[in-house]
Amino acid sequence: MRKLILIFLFCATVINAQTILKEKDSVKTVLDEVIIIAAKKKKIETDMKMAVSVDEFLASSDNISFIKRGAYAWEPLLNNMSTERSIITIDGMHIFGACTDKMDPVTTYVESNNLSDIDIKSGQEGSLQGATVAGSIDLKRKSTAFKKGENYNGAYQTGFEFNNNQFFNLANASYSSDKLVVDASISHRKAGNYTDGNNDKVNHSQFHKFNASLGVAYKTNDLSSLRVDAIFDKAKDVGFPALPMDLSLSRALITSVAYKQFFEKGIVKVWDSKVYFNAVEHYMDDTTRPENLVHMDMPGWSTTYGLVSKVNLQKDNYSSEIQLNAYNNLSIAEMRMYPQDRSERTMFAYSWPWVTTTYAGISMNNYWDISNASQLSFGGTLGVNYNYSKYVEFNWIFHPGTPQEKTRFLPSLHAGYNLNVGDFDFSVGGGYGHRAPSVSEGYGYYIYNSFDRYDYIGNPDLKNEISYETNASAGFKNEKLSVQAKVNYFYIKNYIIGKILNLGSPMNYQSVGVKGYTSLDYATLFNFSLNGKYSILQNLHWKGTLTYARGLDDNQSNLPFIRPLSYQTSLHYSYKKFRILTSLNGDFKQHNYSPFYGEDETPSYKNWNVSADYTFYIMDYKTVFQIGAENLFNEYYSTYADWGNIPRMGRNIFTSLKINF
Amino acid sequence: MKHLQGIVFAVFVMFSSCTIDKTDYEAELNVETTEYIEFKEVTSFNTENYNISIEALNGVFYRGYNEVHLKITNTVSNTSLENSEVTFLPIMTDANGNKSSCPHAYNIIYNADEGYYVGYVVFTSESDSTIDWQLYIDFTENDNTQSVNETIVVEEQTNLNLNMTAFTGNDDEQYFIALVAPQSPSVAQNDLVAGIYKYNKPTNVAGTFPDPTQFSYSTVNNHTLLLDPRMPEPSMGNHSSPNNVDLTQGDDGLYYGVVNYTMTGNWTLNFILNDENGQIIKGTEVSTEFTPGIEGERGELHIDILF
Repeated sequence: MRKLILIFLFCATVINAQTILKEKDSVKTVLDEVIIIAAKKKKIETDMKMAVSVDEFLASSDNISFIKRGAYAWEPLLNNMSTERSIITIDGMHIFGACTDKMDPVTTYVESNNLSDIDIKSGQEGSLQGATVAGSIDLKRKSTAFKKGENYNGAYQTGFEFNNNQFFNLANASYSSDKLVVDASISHRKAGNYTDGNNDKVNHSQFHKFNASLGVAYKTNDLSSLRVDAIFDKAKDVGFPALPMDLSLSRALITSVAYKQFFEKGIVKVWDSKVYFNAVEHYMDDTTRPENLVHMDMPGWSTTYGLVSKVNLQKDNYSSEIQLNAYNNLSIAEMRMYPQDRSERTMFAYSWPWVTTTYAGISMNNYWDISNASQLSFGGTLGVNYNYSKYVEFNWIFHPGTPQEKTRFLPSLHAGYNLNVGDFDFSVGGGYGHRAPSVSEGYGYYIYNSFDRYDYIGNPDLKNEISYETNASAGFKNEKLSVQAKVNYFYIKNYIIGKILNLGSPMNYQSVGVKGYTSLDYATLFNFSLNGKYSILQNLHWKGTLTYARGLDDNQSNLPFIRPLSYQTSLHYSYKKFRILTSLNGDFKQHNYSPFYGEDETPSYKNWNVSADYTFYIMDYKTVFQIGAENLFNEYYSTYADWGNIPRMGRNIFTSLKINF
Repeated sequence: MKHLQGIVFAVFVMFSSCTIDKTDYEAELNVETTEYIEFKEVTSFNTENYNISIEALNGVFYRGYNEVHLKITNTVSNTSLENSEVTFLPIMTDANGNKSSCPHAYNIIYNADEGYYVGYVVFTSESDSTIDWQLYIDFTENDNTQSVNETIVVEEQTNLNLNMTAFTGNDDEQYFIALVAPQSPSVAQNDLVAGIYKYNKPTNVAGTFPDPTQFSYSTVNNHTLLLDPRMPEPSMGNHSSPNNVDLTQGDDGLYYGVVNYTMTGNWTLNFILNDENGQIIKGTEVSTEFTPGIEGERGELHIDILF
């Protein structure tokens, strides 16, 4: 807590300092231009819906799928791999969820109105952010550029979704001048239980989320700026229908101070450094589930300090980014079970016995434009990962004598080649990289997984997971039509997965046994996607996506959570101030499911969605009103990745109004 | 700018308020147990020209296993009596006047390094209005034998990790198992130490009270104590732990093994006592089924602990 106070005092001082400095003025500089070029103005909204959650936005990307335990906090799977294998960062900052059940992926701690863009990199291309196998997801925060004069911008959005009575209000505002930029956002969502396709209520699917963010940037001189950012997120009373317990409260504070220096001459163009601190607390309990045999509390905490420093170099047709990542994370998770006779002694254990992870690594990406039509990219990372388990005696119960500390070296390499020939473009690439086991995989202790109903035990002695990947893509693009096909193939040595242990017995009463994280000799993963776009008329567009994936373990049996053949197709029509969109998406029957890892066969489903919006002006403010329906035919379904086959939401009519200032 | 600081301050207040405190793990382990490492005087008494001082952990005799340290001082010469033949016999008198004893070291040995006589006693019940405990101590200096007896108080052992059990084996002999360590276990691998004793049935007619042959106990040698720890709490469904090691005898006569406790709370140590030939003296195997909602069934031979 004291450290937190220090950070705050520091932030306050910085803000104070800016008030004084604000008085001065300076001339327009290169900085503005560069920042304007750098500031991407992608909106966080899907074609379908303009008031999406971060999860919904990610879901519209074709290499992301989700594990869902309810209506909230979906776990994003990148290339059909879970979050241990990917890196999720906010502006390059590493944040680790505080829930042993992965109920708080980093994506839950932001809101769509404080993000500008989500940068998804597949495989080792994502290694700029650290050691990864699946790739990286970097959530980019909104950051307004310095601009002459006094500029105020803002947007307010409100809406209601009828299925789960979700009412939301999102507002964001920014101020920019020559010297100072302030970005702020605030949002609130409250939803009740949703109903499934049979019009039955899915109990414990409500949620309540509040998010606020503030960023202040100050131009320290013509070529440099200082930026202080903070995000506060609070979720209350979040139900997880697929779990035996709910979230009573989670809070995250994500702060950073960044300094950016531009260089007018020389090979070094930009040097961007940031120190950050974030603290996450996540309190799960089952006070809302009186039917449970055992009352249990599962609080978790995760605190991270870090540094990220990046240099962009450029000379002629060669450019390069070099990034230093360093962070220190402390993950703590407790479980306390209450006996039926409450006067008796409670039962306590750590599910994360105060595990420290320290990582430091240097990554490099290089781009070389060989010609106008071809580009070579290559890069690599060298990282050191250090783990320390304070209460290692917990780990000794299953792994007697295992060392309290563990240091791992995590190298990675990747290369890719792009070629444009007329309307066609092709790419091939390959990569190699190590990753260290996650806190749960290494040091988890009786972490209950309600998907396969096993208690999971970590193994500190697990080997590094080593990934070898190849990828290729081919595309065609002209004025009317664009088609792109992408494939990637991962051969992952020492693939970490839970296997039944013939040791010990379950601790959680719903559990059927104990699984230990073990390394398979190898596993393979294949992902394929096909995208097409066609402009039928000038104002009528078609878009379609088809994805297929296959994952096999070393016995050639299926890996769990691999998305079956899935499709998405949509038509988009605009007429004057109206836009109408209709889309159909679904998964085919899951043939390649894995009973061994607790999966059952999931039937196919399809979802038909429609939406319409109308743009008009209230005074001078552009206003958009939208109405639409998801799962129009109220189909009853659950997907391959829904825990406990919890049914998804039935027909949902949504409305939204957005005013831009 | 002022309101900006206000916001930062508000965020700070929101964040710092009503946080659930992290568990103080060290304190958590000491809720039910206290570890005593210091020997303190339990009693001290005089006989003729001698002072006898008896020390035990925390200065208290508890039901169960007690290591005892004895110091005998000649109050005339003000020297301590070394290397004497000292015998130590605890006698319990019940409401009917019946006299019995409990496992103990009868001949206690002088430890020259420490300067005291070391023995042990496993009190089988605590003192109350109907139960009296007396210690009979004999020692010799210069062929001059002194016999003393002193009433002592045996208190209840509230730390269940030092619990004991007494039972009649399948061989019709009377056995005692007393836990010696750990006093304050952790969620960890714990070295489990127990004393196993046996009552030696007298073969001759009782002589003058106190006749040691009528109250003879010995350490059980070369047996094996099979261990199966489980949590009896119904909601824990007969939960057990891995990598436990059965208890075998160490050089000091005590039995050593390893027990893993996977969380704090109530545990039952289910035992099977095997003799040197692997014959079961006492104990039954318990179900290994996971039975949520049903209180764990205890074996015939068990000791309940709590930490």
